[in-house]
Amino acid sequence: VVVIDDDEAIRISCRRILSRDYEVETFERGCEGLARVRQAAPPLLLVDLKMPEMDGFQVLEEAHRTDPDVVVVVITGYATIATAVEALKAGAYDFLPKPFTPDELRLVVERGLERRRLIDESVRLRREREIAQRRFITFVSHQLKSPLVAVKQYLDVLTFTSGEALPDRAREWIGRSGDRIAEMLQLIHDWLVLARLEQGRLEQANETTELAALVPGLLEECVASAAACGVALVAEVPADLPPVKGDALSLRTVLENLIGNAIKYNRRGGRVTVRAGRSGAGVELEVEDTGIGIPAERLPEVFDEFVRVRVPETEGIPGSGLGLTICRTIVQGLGGTIGARSREGAGTTFTVCLPVGTP
Amino acid sequence: MSAPKRILVIDDDADFRASVRALLESADYVVLVEVDGDSGLRAARAASPDLILLDVMMRERTEGFFVLQEIRRTPALTAIPVIVSSSLYHDHPFFRVREDAGWMPADLFLPKPLRPEQLLAEVARLLAPAGVEVSP
Repeated sequence: VVVIDDDEAIRISCRRILSRDYEVETFERGCEGLARVRQAAPPLLLVDLKMPEMDGFQVLEEAHRTDPDVVVVVITGYATIATAVEALKAGAYDFLPKPFTPDELRLVVERGLERRRLIDESVRLRREREIAQRRFITFVSHQLKSPLVAVKQYLDVLTFTSGEALPDRAREWIGRSGDRIAEMLQLIHDWLVLARLEQGRLEQANETTELAALVPGLLEECVASAAACGVALVAEVPADLPPVKGDALSLRTVLENLIGNAIKYNRRGGRVTVRAGRSGAGVELEVEDTGIGIPAERLPEVFDEFVRVRVPETEGIPGSGLGLTICRTIVQGLGGTIGARSREGAGTTFTVCLPVGTP
Repeated sequence: MSAPKRILVIDDDADFRASVRALLESADYVVLVEVDGDSGLRAARAASPDLILLDVMMRERTEGFFVLQEIRRTPALTAIPVIVSSSLYHDHPFFRVREDAGWMPADLFLPKPLRPEQLLAEVARLLAPAGVEVSP
């Protein structure tokens, strides 16, 4: 307990009354007491409101700036309701009018320390809960993935080492089993990414990224899957586009998901166009496909978790239903917006607006 | 023809060990397996394998990251190529191990499930004498 009072009699009596149960340090001037608060971070501070150099209100304000958790009790010689209320408004926890009896002092100190214990306890619990949540997500996704990975690994090795020797139907079914497991693994993975995003630990809003550099490489990586679906990829990104807010990994995730969808839900002979340009104070990015389109009444919900639009044409196309949720979480986390427009039978365009990044 | 190369697989999943062992043996490697970090490190010291395939999410304290640091701190082992794998980390930008990640001095990170062609190609590359190009 740190006591700051310019009255020596008060300092002596506080020491005498409290030192039996507590460690007590007393200071005559506000600045000395504050130096001690900075140095030792005491749980409780008793401070006289009326002192010649630095008054109690200043000490109170300064102490809370140093340590927001320190509990401050003001001692006041001119105990009017008005000054007491003013001190409480300024962040004091309690007040003690002079003159006080030893029991009154002990009571106020006991209450103040109890308050501090509660503050410390709630801080500790909050921290533990955050750590537990993080561990839980990691643990669950590992436990869910492990058996799937073991099975997939058997199937892949079996196909690789003795695929030729297997009957056609066995080979086909092993291949399909592997595909189903891969879908499940993707779902768990997307859920993990989303859970981490919701803890606000992934997007880096203070970084900037050049879309003109990012997009061509990304499209290059998608060439094989686009070719397999008979879809052409087109980029229309001007080289002089300003950098956008956000780290390359987050923006890459957004684009991978949007381009991946545009390829998956396209048609043979179709096209995916990635377009970027300035728009007001930001940069607008469009991913346009020539696929089946999304019914207008379903369009608002496509960003929601686990929503997949089921029509005969999408039968058998794998997806976790989390990709667009991940996109929206990242884009909003960066201070941007994401939307979609669609014409059934003609195609869908997703539009992302991102703030210009200032390096 | 030189002696067959020896690969130490450290992984706590018995099924994973079985399938990867079969895969590596099909490519004529000699495969040693260990189930946790402690026995893995002991085996590495005793056998000086030509390459180590290490899981980084095992149950005990001596999980993969710790094993890897021990390998790199031990002069006799520090030059052995190590492939780190995990099912938790995915081939995804967030979990891609950055090349400048000094805390994980692995030669390569591969996500589980391992792709058979890719694993064999990377193993061959890491085991090739310096200066020899191996076509994947």
